[in-house]
Amino acid sequence: MSSTRAAQQAGQQVAAMDTVGHDVPRIDAYERVTGRATYTRDVRLPGMLYARVLRSPHPHARIRSIDVSRAEALPGVRAVVTHETHRLIYSSGSIAGGQQYNDAAKDRTEHVRYMFDNPVRFVGQPVAAVAAVNRYVAEDALQLIEVDYEELPFVLDPEEALEPGAPPIWPEGNLALDRDNQPRPSARTSGDPAAGFAAADQVFEDRYTTAFVQDGQMEPRSALAQWDGDKVTIYTPTQGISNCRHDNARDLGLDDHQVQIICKYMGGGFGDKNGSYYFDLIAAVLAKEAGVPVLLELTRKDDWLGTHGRWHTVQDLRVGVAQDGTVTAIALEGYSGMGPYLRRSGGIAGIDAYACPNVERVIYPVHTNRMVSGNFRAPSDPQGYFAIQSMMDDIAYKVNMDPVDFALKNVIRPTEEVRFTNYSLDECIIRGRELFDWESRWRPVPGSDPGPIKRGAGMAFMAFRSGVGPSSAIVRVDADERYTLFVGVTDIGPGAKTTMAIIAAEELGVPLSQVDVVWGDTDLCPYSVGESGSRTTTMTGYAVVQAAIDLKRQIAERGMPRGDDVLIASATPNPSTEGQRRMVFGAHFVEVEADVQLGHVRITKYVAVHESGRILNPRPAKDQIRGAALQGLGQALHEDLLYDSRSGHPLTAGYYGARHLTYLDAPEIEVTFIETDDGYGPYGAKTVGEAGIILGPAAVANAIFNTIGHRMKELPITRARILEALA
Amino acid sequence: MGKKRTDLEDGVSRRAFPIPRSEDTLHEDEGGDRDLTRRGFLGGAGAALVVAGAPKLGSSKPPSAGAVEQEAPAVPQTAIRITVNGIEHRVDVEDRWTLNEFLRDHIGLMGSKIGCNRGECGACTVLVDGEPMFSCSTLAVWADGRDIVTVEGLESDGAVSPLQQAFMDHNAAQCGFCTSGQLMTATALLVSNPRPTSDEVRQAMVGNLCRCSNYNAMVEAVVAAAGTSGSGGAQ
Repeated sequence: MSSTRAAQQAGQQVAAMDTVGHDVPRIDAYERVTGRATYTRDVRLPGMLYARVLRSPHPHARIRSIDVSRAEALPGVRAVVTHETHRLIYSSGSIAGGQQYNDAAKDRTEHVRYMFDNPVRFVGQPVAAVAAVNRYVAEDALQLIEVDYEELPFVLDPEEALEPGAPPIWPEGNLALDRDNQPRPSARTSGDPAAGFAAADQVFEDRYTTAFVQDGQMEPRSALAQWDGDKVTIYTPTQGISNCRHDNARDLGLDDHQVQIICKYMGGGFGDKNGSYYFDLIAAVLAKEAGVPVLLELTRKDDWLGTHGRWHTVQDLRVGVAQDGTVTAIALEGYSGMGPYLRRSGGIAGIDAYACPNVERVIYPVHTNRMVSGNFRAPSDPQGYFAIQSMMDDIAYKVNMDPVDFALKNVIRPTEEVRFTNYSLDECIIRGRELFDWESRWRPVPGSDPGPIKRGAGMAFMAFRSGVGPSSAIVRVDADERYTLFVGVTDIGPGAKTTMAIIAAEELGVPLSQVDVVWGDTDLCPYSVGESGSRTTTMTGYAVVQAAIDLKRQIAERGMPRGDDVLIASATPNPSTEGQRRMVFGAHFVEVEADVQLGHVRITKYVAVHESGRILNPRPAKDQIRGAALQGLGQALHEDLLYDSRSGHPLTAGYYGARHLTYLDAPEIEVTFIETDDGYGPYGAKTVGEAGIILGPAAVANAIFNTIGHRMKELPITRARILEALA
Repeated sequence: MGKKRTDLEDGVSRRAFPIPRSEDTLHEDEGGDRDLTRRGFLGGAGAALVVAGAPKLGSSKPPSAGAVEQEAPAVPQTAIRITVNGIEHRVDVEDRWTLNEFLRDHIGLMGSKIGCNRGECGACTVLVDGEPMFSCSTLAVWADGRDIVTVEGLESDGAVSPLQQAFMDHNAAQCGFCTSGQLMTATALLVSNPRPTSDEVRQAMVGNLCRCSNYNAMVEAVVAAAGTSGSGGAQ
């Protein structure tokens, strides 16, 4: 690499700025700590009804008939809807190839998911809904609906689902359809895997499995719909009001302008809420039938089973290694459990963090009669990183290398073919090793502590996309020098509203207190990509910069507005990195303590080093990483959704069942950012919050191996599994 | 009211179901049984919601829009006197109403949230005679004669409490949905223990889940609030 290229790859040092880079309290912090923040369920409209959904008690069944007459006769019931009365397609519920923002893919798929489907294909699938004068009547009415089910054979395990003779969930079988409606796995080969394995001195094979993880947002979903003529307003917790509007308009047979989506505050996103939900549709049709607004509320159990979560996987890995520890070939055969509909891709990431050029990947997204899988914060990553980096860690020991040295030997690096806007992965690993004091915490001989309380250390590293792309912003100034920013964001937790205001204040050169933000309403805000896919800061934030530049130009040309006049600027930039990969990088180092008699694992040190470009607001950025890392720990040690294999019923839906982390399970997470400016995005800012979840499972699993000397190959690494391994 | 208990299951600690005091005359013998379903536990078979008995005293807000319905048979009601954020209400409540329904649906205090409605998450936590309680799992009739404080009652003279200020300063609310409940539990803690250690904060707040997992920021905020004058106690 030439020295010029090296400088480019490193990115530029960041210089101090006026507003950007300083700790700024959220502009809506007051609303959040006083109960004034209005979430969907806090909205009350005159005359509104309450709605409840009847859900399938069977994992797979055909509905022979539904009798709603007794429900309709119950005093206080205003509307009852079923698949017989409303056969609406829920178009973002099942998508060809898992292409989430692609209209053509939504049109194309042959595995259509309806708002109410027949047959029903998982426990918890909507069957009917009731709107009534209050929740009590609505719940009683559900019990009066008589459904005659013909129970069908079901299958819960992805590998069993692909065996000959497995109960077919779709006529084509149980392998999900790709973008061309073909039941084919997702396959990708690079380099020459056969030659790579032939060149290897040793070849290792192993199997890793990961469990389903529900996003588990604290706010149970709900939707409040109100019609005004042929226009419907839907209050709903969504990560992307623009996509939500478009999806709902498609499914209701309306134009986009006939749908208004409002989401002011929402209780957690984590990935599964960009776009629409079937309960938006149910609320809309009930409100149409009843002629008054309808608030549909999901119970916690409805929410747990009737939404989505991270797909569970089975991963068979094969890795070839040369004598000097260089990885020469990687092969992955993976199975992703998607439930009966392909809501999202079912991808398995992680291999791309290695330099090895010879890779063969075959991933089968498989339909089962479990609940539907979807996106959860870095959708393909923690499960993939757990498998490949456990595998590589294991190989490091087998070839007598320190896992950090093995990592540094094999991480992806810039080449003439693989160019980055900037690169810092090796720096993240080296900095993490220093901060963590790896030499003193890592045991050269795994499990060598005398016990019964043992300690050990592990690490993992990642590279995660932080792309650029189109989004919009509008900024206006009036004669009082109030700057109003219109951005189509909702604020799912990371503080997007505040981030957008910081960017505007910086670019306009005014104090943050002079900037107001209008957000969360499609009738007021321009298009935004939505707060998922790590895009708001980089894409909508860049649009804010461009709109502010235009407004400054107008002010320079025409002077500040006077009287009732205003100046308005808008921008919809669509930047490109011209073939370079724009990525964030990170390394997590974990020390654990394991009680080999009880099987209990405790985290005693957790160091997270991230390069996310320039950090716009340091405290929320740090908390994004801390929170994400803790979610990763939950996946590593606790969370699962168990099913009864005889009945097909889920057993552990809910916070107790999934054993979500509490205060007592949350160790301190030490966060370090390496700041750079690669010249893209707003001031070189990249994604922060999504990537923090990726490394927890891998780093913890590797630390547990170093501590007890047994490789844990299944997530979650429960006490029972540790005791089983030690037995 | 029963103190919060902590039980340990496979390393996971949870706060126990809140239990009414023995002098709570209704449903007292049902309070300790965690195997009951919430619906069975709280009693009350279905009939229409009737906002009966406009407040006889006090300055209770009118019933929220959409809640009035007269066409279904009446359900058992009980007259209670309840103080919420310093304002006394004398009202007839349906025996099946939870305290959370009373607060949110009938006097319009939307600050306490429903995250699970089954005593798992703590988003609905309010103070009942100074004790943090899950308002989803407390009947309104049990609150007869009690003094309730919700998140809306933490400000005084238009100023946020030191605890609320610390939550703002320490980015303690990410999505904010659990925040009200977190604030109420922490408020009670700072009254009983004005200078808690980080570990004491974690123990006290174990019944309040946060899926954003912003636990460490909240611990820092509570400890910081404890270091300021006035702690953060309820008014």
